[in-house]
Amino acid sequence: MKYAYFLSCINESMTRELDRSLEILEKDLGIELVKLTRGTCCGGSNLDYVSPDHFLVINGRNIALAEQMKLDLVTSCNTCLLTLRRARQILDSSPEKREFVNNTLRDEGLCYSGSSDVKHLLWVITEDYGLGRLAGLVTTPLTGMRFAPFYGCHILRPSNLLGKDNPATPMSLDHLVETLGGIPVEYASKNKCCGFHTLLVAEKESLALSGNAIEDAIRAEADYIVTPCPLCHTAMDAYQPMTLKGRAVSRTIPVLHLSQLIGLALGHSREELGIDRHMIT
Amino acid sequence: MDHSFDIVIVGAGGGGLFAALEAIRTNPLATVAVVSKVYPTRSHTSAAQGGVNAALANKDKDDSVELHVFDTVKGSDYLADQDAVDYLCGQAPLVVRELENLGAPFSRFADGTIAQRPFGGTVKDRCCYCADKTGHTILHTLFEQCLRQGVKFFNEFFLLSLEHDDGQCQGVVAMNMRNSSIEAFSAKSVILATGGHAKMYWNRSSNAAGNTGDGQAAALRAGIALKDMEFIQFHPTGLRKSGLLVTEGARGEGGYLLNRHGQRFMSRYAPQKMELGPRDLVARSMETEILEGNAFTSDAGSYLELDLRHLGAEAIKKKLPQIRELCMHFEGIDPIEEPIPVRPTAHYSMGGIDAGMAQTAVRGIYAIGECACVSVHGANRLGGNSLLDILVFGKRAGQEAALEAPQRKARPVSPAAVRKAADEIKSYASHERYERYGTIREEMGRTMADKAGIYRTEAKLRSGVEEIKTLRERFRHIRLFDTGTVYNTNLFQILELKNMLDLALCVTATALERQESRGSHYRNDFPVRDDQSWHKHSLCTLQENGDIRLGTGPVTMGKYSLEARSY
Amino acid sequence: MERREVSFRIYRYNPQVDRHPFYDNFKVAVEKGITILRVLNHIKEHLEPRLTFRAFCQAGICGSCAVRVNGISRLACTTQVWDVLTGSGDDPILVEPLNNLEVIRDLLVDVDPLMEKLKQNSSWVAPAIPEQQMGCKEHIVSETELEVIDSATDCILCGSCYSECSMMGVNRRYISPPVLLKAFRMNNDTRDTIGAERLQQVTADHGLWDCTHCYRCVEHCTKKIAIMEGIHRLREEALERRMTKSEGARHAQAFFDDIHDSGRLKEVTLPLRTKGVAGSLGMIPLAMKMGLKGRTPPLFMKKIPDIKHVRELYRKLEIRAVVKRHAVRQTERLQ
Repeated sequence: MKYAYFLSCINESMTRELDRSLEILEKDLGIELVKLTRGTCCGGSNLDYVSPDHFLVINGRNIALAEQMKLDLVTSCNTCLLTLRRARQILDSSPEKREFVNNTLRDEGLCYSGSSDVKHLLWVITEDYGLGRLAGLVTTPLTGMRFAPFYGCHILRPSNLLGKDNPATPMSLDHLVETLGGIPVEYASKNKCCGFHTLLVAEKESLALSGNAIEDAIRAEADYIVTPCPLCHTAMDAYQPMTLKGRAVSRTIPVLHLSQLIGLALGHSREELGIDRHMIT
Repeated sequence: MDHSFDIVIVGAGGGGLFAALEAIRTNPLATVAVVSKVYPTRSHTSAAQGGVNAALANKDKDDSVELHVFDTVKGSDYLADQDAVDYLCGQAPLVVRELENLGAPFSRFADGTIAQRPFGGTVKDRCCYCADKTGHTILHTLFEQCLRQGVKFFNEFFLLSLEHDDGQCQGVVAMNMRNSSIEAFSAKSVILATGGHAKMYWNRSSNAAGNTGDGQAAALRAGIALKDMEFIQFHPTGLRKSGLLVTEGARGEGGYLLNRHGQRFMSRYAPQKMELGPRDLVARSMETEILEGNAFTSDAGSYLELDLRHLGAEAIKKKLPQIRELCMHFEGIDPIEEPIPVRPTAHYSMGGIDAGMAQTAVRGIYAIGECACVSVHGANRLGGNSLLDILVFGKRAGQEAALEAPQRKARPVSPAAVRKAADEIKSYASHERYERYGTIREEMGRTMADKAGIYRTEAKLRSGVEEIKTLRERFRHIRLFDTGTVYNTNLFQILELKNMLDLALCVTATALERQESRGSHYRNDFPVRDDQSWHKHSLCTLQENGDIRLGTGPVTMGKYSLEARSY
Repeated sequence: MERREVSFRIYRYNPQVDRHPFYDNFKVAVEKGITILRVLNHIKEHLEPRLTFRAFCQAGICGSCAVRVNGISRLACTTQVWDVLTGSGDDPILVEPLNNLEVIRDLLVDVDPLMEKLKQNSSWVAPAIPEQQMGCKEHIVSETELEVIDSATDCILCGSCYSECSMMGVNRRYISPPVLLKAFRMNNDTRDTIGAERLQQVTADHGLWDCTHCYRCVEHCTKKIAIMEGIHRLREEALERRMTKSEGARHAQAFFDDIHDSGRLKEVTLPLRTKGVAGSLGMIPLAMKMGLKGRTPPLFMKKIPDIKHVRELYRKLEIRAVVKRHAVRQTERLQ
């Protein structure tokens, strides 16, 4: 199994442990992730309204780079996923926009045709690889450990663009936790918003959003939060001391990346997986 | 808490809102309030899908106001007042353009002008529309403009009574639904814009739950006559459970109407046109099948089937997506796999408060739209003329009230009127009462559908009148189970039922009286129009003892004289 | 006809008598094809006349009956019981009032704050036509111009998005999705004349830039309106109108600039560029703690290998934008 791997800016800076722990998994799982080093930042949720043209060209280019390698494009960031898939949907539904993008990309020898799918790492693991196959690799089952799955918005909504999990009752991450021997806890916040995208704009409100979710997870007696998105991770880990200020909770709660969760069950150490680099350990 | 305004408008549908806007524009110094039992955007105007007629001649260059008048008069089976129809059609281009000017998102032709499409009963394509959401967008546009003009809204206030002092308007008494406080709204002018009353057919009605004729009933009790109450329009294909309409498009695309023997029964009634016969003929044929026992039966009553399955999944998905969605949401069935359960459904009341050009017999009190009978629809309303009616006469009433207000002396609502309303409401909670709201309402709906429905006969109507009288008697013992004062919906249901019962008596009594068939009023025992005896409006008023007194009034004629109505 | 007994667990609260909200359970025999609203009506008529909720058209167009069913905001009148059965169909169906609005009683909430916000944000078309010329002439509006706002005019103000909105959940003063959608609809109506003014109102504190992009409004819109597209287009317009003083606008601009400079977002200076020097001071303690864990972003992002290609794309798009602006000015002059 071979994919083009999209480099998300945050994994190049604040959450570097994510891609590093993923490199370890690649060998275990026998999945090859070819880094899309020529790719750029997807522009987050922002580029689209700064300049819709740039948004389309930049992301048309990102996907076209994967097409050039004849590979599907995988990302481990929810917002990159949504942004790329939005661009893809627009380009697939509008021949004029596709033509405009391809005219702009021509000099670089690139062309968007729509042949590469854009997937999230979680989907690759649960669907392409398969939970059954993964179960066979578990060496250190996460027995007795309670995980609060936190999906993040941009892997769920809008469902017409993403469409894997039901946004009201997502289950894929829960099933993954079970496969690895852990206990997924039921709590109200699993499909809620972490507030990351407004952290620098409406700090108080954003901290309240992540704080609500963290508090929910603690009250549900989870040992860990696990999330498939590095942005959610940042809002819930790096900012956790700030979010919990003034809340009646007895403790903090560590937050794991998807890759780290699998890594633990496959017998890797916390150190190898970079779990000790987190703010809450 | 008591209020005082120059103009109080009761009802916040398209008619009430346009009246408010026009009143403020005509006289910026006038104080205007809109009192409504629902938030404005909830009003039933939103449910009008089709469009609004206006001879803009954007499509057919030879269309004219005169042709629009002719279509309307003919459609009314010559019962409409032609001065009112002249005004309606003459003002139509103006009000439609005005709405457009204010932001209504009308569908457009390629040249950017307002698009027009054909509609039943018209010789030219003059129906202006916003996709299939014309009423909804008009209502929202007007609401937005009212916000812009700072119109004062009293949302969720329930009309209890209309007050006048010897033919001079005093105002209304209404209840604040949030806290049950009964409040007087003194006003130099009152504009009633409370919508229709076809909900009295309950399960056999496409109307909103609140289309209970509150303004009509208040006017009736205030001594104002109701006109042409026997005329109720039926649509052939309402969904069995909700009464929602499945538009003619489903039959237009080739849908079959089937009875429980699987027969396309329309072959017996309209062998040529089959399912595409005129609306009233199809409705009557379906009713015959139901009466003759050829219908399916269910908890929700008898029904027939509209079968689209033979059109195939592709065609249904492509050509009738909205009908499919409607069936899935409201009936829980997918027409690709199952036939649609349908039956004829009451959906518009032509009759209402007797109001010549919007003005009632009481100085300062106006009535417009479906609650009024101006009369522009006569015995049968044309599609696309109901939205037009509320706009044209809403505007006119707003204008007249605003011009008149400064000249009129304020006559405040008397404290006794408020006390009387409070006493009545208190009495409902008495422990000696035992009748249940649901039972009486259920029986009222059934009586109206069975006795004053599509087919009417003397025997049926006679027993209909008796049954409604009995129900009114039983209503005197109705029990209010909820005695709270915070948003007591149980109380509002009871008050609405009382209104419907009074109006149901008017409908059955006038239908019994009119011994002819005209427009929507079909008598098996008098199957033809009788201009000699019945080319006149019916009137009914309420007597002291609670009985109805019947009368008649002349029809105003104009350019068009009586002719047979055939299409 | 398929039929089964279904349990309903309904939120109850009457401030006159109940100290706290509670849940009432009802068992109702339901035929397939029945909606939540019909069940509520049945309960009110036969089991509990005090149960309080709003409903009017029963046809999905008036927007009165929005409630939360199993936690999701939707119209009671368009929701089939069969579609919301969970478990093996035996779990009770939970019916609760909308979120983010005060409960008046049971399922009925106070929607005045929404109406008030519509008013504060000029949610109407202000045409150029003078009063006395109203109704004399149509505006000419092309089909493509209408198309832009068409779906936004489907909004029935049911309040579902207001209830689902993440930001509303933590800040009741937030402008809210339906009001942003209306602003989009008005600002893109060619007949309107107060776009700039409206945008000032909409971008005030607790406004346009506070949307977290959680897409809950889009996901649960009862009319399937792509509300977020409207929000994006409003932000685009704010930037076009050079309303770049707000933190949100500066934040967005940073992405655009960074992709040009290195192909990557320079997270290290992002707070400074978004919040300014003074605004960033508060972040220093967090940055220091993160530094101890080696989590601070690098001072200089390494440029991606092909940055020259990216810059070339920017140059081409800039030429295109200039040409476009020129063309717009030309047509304006011609008119």
